[in-house]
Amino acid sequence: MRVMFLIIVALFFSGCSIKEVKPWQKEILAKESMQFSGGDGNLRKFVNHIYFSKEASKGGSGVAGGGCGCN
Amino acid sequence: MQLRYSIIAISALVSFANAQNYVSVQYMDYDEDSVRTTVHSPHLELNLDFGADYTLNISGVIDSLSGASPTYYDSSSGASAKIPKGSILSSDIAYGDIPYSDRRKDLSVALTKRLKSRDELSVGYNYSTESDYISNELSLGYLHYLDKSKNRSIDFGLSYQKNKIKIGCYLGNSECDGVSGASSKVVNEYSYVLNTQIGFTQILDKNSLIKASLFYINEHGYLSNPYMRIVRDYNTNPRITEERKPDTRHSYGLGLEYDRAINSKFTTLFSYRLFHDSWDITSHTFETQLFYDFNSKLRLGVNLRAYHQSKAKFFSGKKDYFTNEKYASSDRRVGKLSSYSANLSAEYKINSKFSINGAVGYYKQVDYFHSNFYNIGFKYRF
Repeated sequence: MRVMFLIIVALFFSGCSIKEVKPWQKEILAKESMQFSGGDGNLRKFVNHIYFSKEASKGGSGVAGGGCGCN
Repeated sequence: MQLRYSIIAISALVSFANAQNYVSVQYMDYDEDSVRTTVHSPHLELNLDFGADYTLNISGVIDSLSGASPTYYDSSSGASAKIPKGSILSSDIAYGDIPYSDRRKDLSVALTKRLKSRDELSVGYNYSTESDYISNELSLGYLHYLDKSKNRSIDFGLSYQKNKIKIGCYLGNSECDGVSGASSKVVNEYSYVLNTQIGFTQILDKNSLIKASLFYINEHGYLSNPYMRIVRDYNTNPRITEERKPDTRHSYGLGLEYDRAINSKFTTLFSYRLFHDSWDITSHTFETQLFYDFNSKLRLGVNLRAYHQSKAKFFSGKKDYFTNEKYASSDRRVGKLSSYSANLSAEYKINSKFSINGAVGYYKQVDYFHSNFYNIGFKYRF
C-alpha cells in the first residue's frame, strides 16, 4: 500500500516543469472546461451521489456534501 | 476598476467558488435495471456575489426514489425486510428485491469570504432529510495562496456531520428489543462523520495545472443499514438477522488531478483516487474528461470513469457463511466490485446570460446491474 502510494506520487510529480504564469495569462486556465463537469457542480454532485450510494468509497472531492440514508 | 475586478476574478480561478451571479435549474433522472430503482431529482441553485469579497451559494434538491433493495428475506411471508422470529426453513430463505420508496430533501448553504490577501474562507451548512434519516452538516474551508502570482495554493477542509437513523420496530431489528410490541414504535440511532482534507494546487504553465489532496474520514456510531439482512447458521439452525457493521470506520486516501488545455478548444482532465479504510476496503478510481468547444456557444464533454474495490473483512454474499460473527454483512456495496461509467454532456450558450445544458450517462457494476441517467437544465447569469 505504502509503496504504491509513493510510486503514484513520484510518477505524478515527475516531469512537471513549472513556469510562472501572470494573472493576465490565465484566460484558458479560468475556463469552465478546466474543471470536471465543466464547472457544472450540479451534474458533478448528482453523479457523485450515484457512486456514493452504490460503492463503499468516499472522500477526495471536498469535505462538504451532506449525509444520505442511501448508504 | 473593471480591470482590477477582472484580474481578481481570474486570479481566483483555483478557488472552489466561481465568481458570478447565476441561477441554475436542473432536472436529473436515474433508472436502474429498467425501473428496478428510479430517482427523479429536480435541483435549484442560486449563486450571488456581494462585491468582490463575498459569494453566497444556496442549493436545494428533492429526490423522489422508488424501487427495490436486494437482501435476504423469508419467502414464506413475502418480500419484506421484516426479520422473522427464530429459525426458519432453509428452503424459505430467498435473496431478492425488497420494495421501497422515499423522498429526500437536501438544502445546502455556503458563504465564501475573500480576504485582503485574496485567501478564501468558506463556511457551509447542509441539511438532508428522508422519512427515516436526518442529516446535519457544518463545513469549513480555507484556501491560502502560497505565492504572489497565485500560481500555487494550499487548501484545508473540515466538516462534521450528525446523522439520525430512524429504525421502525415493525422490522424486528434487535435495536428495538425491550421497546418493541407497538408496531409504530421507532428507535433512533446516530452516526457521526468527521471529514478532513488538505489539498495542493500548482499551475504548471498557462495551459495546465495539477492538484493533489490527502483526506481522512472518521465515522462512528450506527454504521449498519437497518434494512440489510444476513443469514446465520444456515446448515444447523437457519435464521435471518440484521446485518452488523463495525461502529467505527477510519478512511483515508489520496487524490491526484492533472488538467491540460491542448489548445483553446480542446481540454483534457485526468484524476486518480486511492482509498483505504479500517474495514479493509481498498479502492482505485480513474477518471478522465474531455471537453471540446466547437465555437463560443457550444461545448461538448465526454467523461469516463473506472472503479475497483476490494471487499470488507466482514462481508460475505453467501447464505451459508455466517455463524456467530460479531460483524457480518451481505451488503453488496461493501463486497468486491468493479464499475464503469460514461457520460456525454453538452452546453449551449444562447446569449451571454442564458445557457441550456444536458447530459446522458451510463453506469455499470460488473456482473450485477447497470443504470442510465440523464440531466437537462438551464443557467441564467445576471
